[in-house]
Amino acid sequence: MQETIFSLLDVERVYTLGTTGWFRRKTRQLKALDGIRLELKHGDTLALVGESGSGKSTLIRLMLGLEPASDGRVLYGQHDLAHLDAEARKRFAREVAFIYQNARGSMNPRMRIADILAEPVRLHRLCEEQAIPARVEALIARVGLPAGLLQRFPGELSGGQVRRIAIARALAAEPNVIMADESVAGLDVSVQAQVLNLLRDLCRESGITLVFITHDLGVASYLCEKIAVLYLGRIVEQGPTHDILSTPRHPYTKALLQAFPRFDAPLCASLKGEIPSPVNLPKGCRFAGRCAQVQSACLEVDPPLTLLTPERQVACLFPVVNPC
Amino acid sequence: MSHALDLSASFQASSWRRRFLQPLMRQRSAVVGLVIILAYVLAAVFAPWLATHNPTAQDLGAALQGPSAAHWLGTDSFGQDLYSRLLYGAQLALIIGFASVALGLVAGVAIGLAAGLIGGRTEWVLMRIVDGLLAFPELILAMAFMAVLGLGTENLVYALALSFVGPFARMTRGDVLQVKSQPFIEAARLMGVPTLAIIWRHVLPNVVSPILVQAGMRVSIAILLESGLSFLGIGVVPPTPDWGLMIAEGRGFITIAPWISGVPGVALAILLVALNLLGDGLRDAFDPNTQKDA
Repeated sequence: MQETIFSLLDVERVYTLGTTGWFRRKTRQLKALDGIRLELKHGDTLALVGESGSGKSTLIRLMLGLEPASDGRVLYGQHDLAHLDAEARKRFAREVAFIYQNARGSMNPRMRIADILAEPVRLHRLCEEQAIPARVEALIARVGLPAGLLQRFPGELSGGQVRRIAIARALAAEPNVIMADESVAGLDVSVQAQVLNLLRDLCRESGITLVFITHDLGVASYLCEKIAVLYLGRIVEQGPTHDILSTPRHPYTKALLQAFPRFDAPLCASLKGEIPSPVNLPKGCRFAGRCAQVQSACLEVDPPLTLLTPERQVACLFPVVNPC
Repeated sequence: MSHALDLSASFQASSWRRRFLQPLMRQRSAVVGLVIILAYVLAAVFAPWLATHNPTAQDLGAALQGPSAAHWLGTDSFGQDLYSRLLYGAQLALIIGFASVALGLVAGVAIGLAAGLIGGRTEWVLMRIVDGLLAFPELILAMAFMAVLGLGTENLVYALALSFVGPFARMTRGDVLQVKSQPFIEAARLMGVPTLAIIWRHVLPNVVSPILVQAGMRVSIAILLESGLSFLGIGVVPPTPDWGLMIAEGRGFITIAPWISGVPGVALAILLVALNLLGDGLRDAFDPNTQKDA
């Protein structure tokens, strides 16, 4: 039995929106996350997939402790993230690394790459002061960049180089868990492939647990063994990558797969319109408005995430039976 | 090992040149300003050796003389040597200018950092104080402060510094608020960097260059204010060799001995122009908002 690293127990995140009206203080509530249950075991590679606005980034920010959960609990190991003592917080900071979507923005523009990489090493006293330069050189070599870049500033590097430096910095603290937010979005396909291979090798070699946010199912299937599909702040389908891609059981997953361009088939825009606003959620299933096989019961009952097989969960009253 | 160290050291020196010296050297007028200021600084530093007379030695027999071999730039109504007074005056002007700006900068940046980083009620209180300071024009504020503190060089520095706290504080706060919201600050916090290290290593370096540019500009304002206050008789005390005092003193003899006011006046004007040239050059070279595509 693998050790559980993260467990999310019915996590909710509600944002209170501003007041409207002169006299009545009306506040509206936006449910960015609604009843998330998730378990992450040591060595897992999990992809969080969904459209923009589905709550992927909010979920990862909650797991990093950057935002508090409005309800429910986020557990790291045995500890509740909301009540970490100083010692545990420091350990958490070392063991969990985050790679920002905006890799360039996540680096101090006035620091050299060498200092950026040395900072976590020095901070957690991972090696002797004299050994730091060698360590930094090993880090940059590990992400496949020349040591000549160490004296540059982040602004002088290309997009692909900056992302690899971000990965190197995440590795610098020798973490157990790496979380990455859209780390390959907007990159050239060749650079994207390099970054993906790098991440995959790292996970295989060092047994790092990876949580990867993406809206690209292809990237998710290449990198991760598990996929969780999010829609409007709720996990609608979860399971091993291969099963989900070959036999999607939730109509939303199926629609996402159909929207994925292929060489041999014409592209049909199976998902009409955009993700609705999470401010006023409709009664019943939240996907009902865009679902191709909506039935009258879907407008009444909000389907919970239920087990289909021991490994797969789906939140749909009438799971898809025939694969696409 | 030592070879590698040498390499990195030379690399850093050249990149310092690339990042700081070259952009500045590209500004022609800034170089002219810098050269003039350097000349003033040298004159001020070596005043004791360059001066021909004691700057406060009176010789009523030699009063109101024009330029001559004994008194290169003439004498004033007390017979004090204008050339020597000019040199020591440069010393005083530069010391007061830089000291008051430095003091105002330290206090202003501290207030701005505190307001921007802490936020909430602390920020509100600090910024209302700063608003109060900014409500008065610099000259009026310094005058009021001198009236309370009394005359003297030291008090003049404090008064001028106080009038600079407001602008520095407001500017620092604005920049801090902007930098604070950048992802690299959050990233540092996530890595577990202690708060003080975040301020020192990540916030300060990113707000410091506009502050230094502003400081460069403020030095000329400080020197002008200092001379103005001394001219009005609420600055340094006579017979201290001060340009403002010298101009004021020569006022009564402007028709018979124009050099008494003229010499320090011209010296002051040239220094202020040079400081402004340098300040503009610094701004053009380092303020990203005005950076042109070279």
